Amino acid sequence: MIRMLDHTADVGFEVRAPTREALFETAREGLLRLMFQHPPTQGSATREVTLQAPDLEFLLVRWLNELIYLVQTAGFVPARAAITITEDAQGFTLRARLEGQPFDAEAMGWQGEIKSATFHGLEVRPETSGWWARVVLDV
Amino acid sequence: MDNVPFERLDRYTYRIPRHGKMWVDAVFYANDEILAQLEAEGYASLKQLVNVATLPGIVGPALAMPDIHWGYGFPIGGVAAFDPTAGGVVSPGGVGFDINCGVRLLTTRLTREDLEPRKTRLADALYRRVPAGVGSARRDVRWSPKDLKTVLREGARALVAQGFGEAADLERIESGGRLPLADPDRVSARALERGGPQLGTLGSGNHFLEVQYVDEVYDPEAAEAYGLWVGQVTVLIHTGSRGLGHQVCQDYVERFLQAARRYGIELVDRQLAAAPIESPEGQDYLHAMAAAANFAFANRQLITHNVRLAFEDAGFLPRDHQLRVLYDLAHNNAKFEEYAGRRVLVHRKGATRAFGPGAPDVPPAFRTVGQPVLVPGDMGRYSFVLAGTPGAMTRTFGSSCHGAGRQMSRHKAKKAARKRNLIAELEAQGILVRAASRATVDEEMPEAYKDVASVVDVVHGAGIGKKVARLRPLIVVKG
Repeated sequence: MIRMLDHTADVGFEVRAPTREALFETAREGLLRLMFQHPPTQGSATREVTLQAPDLEFLLVRWLNELIYLVQTAGFVPARAAITITEDAQGFTLRARLEGQPFDAEAMGWQGEIKSATFHGLEVRPETSGWWARVVLDV
Repeated sequence: MDNVPFERLDRYTYRIPRHGKMWVDAVFYANDEILAQLEAEGYASLKQLVNVATLPGIVGPALAMPDIHWGYGFPIGGVAAFDPTAGGVVSPGGVGFDINCGVRLLTTRLTREDLEPRKTRLADALYRRVPAGVGSARRDVRWSPKDLKTVLREGARALVAQGFGEAADLERIESGGRLPLADPDRVSARALERGGPQLGTLGSGNHFLEVQYVDEVYDPEAAEAYGLWVGQVTVLIHTGSRGLGHQVCQDYVERFLQAARRYGIELVDRQLAAAPIESPEGQDYLHAMAAAANFAFANRQLITHNVRLAFEDAGFLPRDHQLRVLYDLAHNNAKFEEYAGRRVLVHRKGATRAFGPGAPDVPPAFRTVGQPVLVPGDMGRYSFVLAGTPGAMTRTFGSSCHGAGRQMSRHKAKKAARKRNLIAELEAQGILVRAASRATVDEEMPEAYKDVASVVDVVHGAGIGKKVARLRPLIVVKG
């Protein structure tokens, strides 16, 4: 579940999913929906991503920022992600195998640049039947 | 009042007295219309201003200009000064993601009538010469990592040295187009990777390139000093440090979140992540931020060069157009300045430096009238040129507003624009739009912004800026 948030200067969304991994995958989808009118849902190119962070909120910001970088600088649009998240004494590690396509502004209906995911109003929390998160992005 | 108690000090000035964890009072500037907008958003931006006042070493008051709106961490329109010798902090969230985002105004010797027959040619040439939107990468000029580091160290000067512009341009840029603290070695490899291909590009969002004409002069003396006259064609460039600056901000917000804990700085909002100015983290950020600021100055310099070429493409010889930099100023940075004998680090996030008459950092030609303050509005209405005042020096750490401020979320604007053809509407008003995507034009529709005239009237009325001239758009290039 993705709910877009209205923020006067920026944009944001809330996501809900049954697992932590699904939450991060849904957040990827939310980000792509902000970036593109027709975000791709599959692709033949692949990329591996590994990210570490002291907590899940930090990890979510890093994840979204990594995706922004991949789209805007590497020209790779991540259409799907197989994610695992592990926890140890240092915090959390996210490993993702991304399937995607080369950036195509016209075909994908590019809607404009996003500068970054922010820590403002950021929240990731477990619920009785899964996980919930909210994130604000600077556009 | 929803937990933000404030009182009116005079017609345009409001004070939030120190309470809770605030170290100092907060002051903001508004009229009835702006107050109603603040109320409508549940005083979210005033709460952010209160949060700024809780940061260590703040030299009060925490300030907000009349274009204040809800940001993240600091409100947009926020100004705050910190004393390095009193544990004062630096906060990347107080500068923003787009480090040294700013505006540059170019003047020409052309009149609106001179331009009219070649307007379409010029619009197309500008769109071709100045990459906008994504893909906003230049393919014609490539910067080796070594050259890019020179740009980060030298700012606009590095570009002029390579033939992109004239030495005279540099005299009309805030800080001469170069912040001396810059150290490219404190900028991450990823920031360099993101910025390299983007030098000389506009980007998207609220950034733009506008050809305009002066339609009204309010202060003949200042207008003469600035070289502005009714009917004159001008060019306004609004852009910043692109992916390079965004990455520097990201890198340091993450690092500061950890540092803040170590220095015992209690953060009421994580996006306010801060570190003492004198700490190794604080110093690293200030040097990296200056490098990103220099990238932004250089970015506007390369765009200026390409604007000159575009005018030539449209058939105007250099001696006909005589494009000159009137001024280039930043509205997202942190700078060391001195007020009442005290050296402080002034953060301006969505706020403009507005030094008054006599200030040494103001170009000699403007020193009797104060520095030009450039205030863009929306693409359908107008922008303003103001002059810095003595009042700004005593009340706002030499600061003024930076724009209109949004009043409609991007989502709402897009929805409202869906059934309209904004590009055709603007064309019917004589404004040619060239845009990389319709979505950006829709999001940036004039109604999405407050009327900048209202903001400027508050600044003028409060004495923290003086109205000089109004500019109306003729051509708009958007990402």
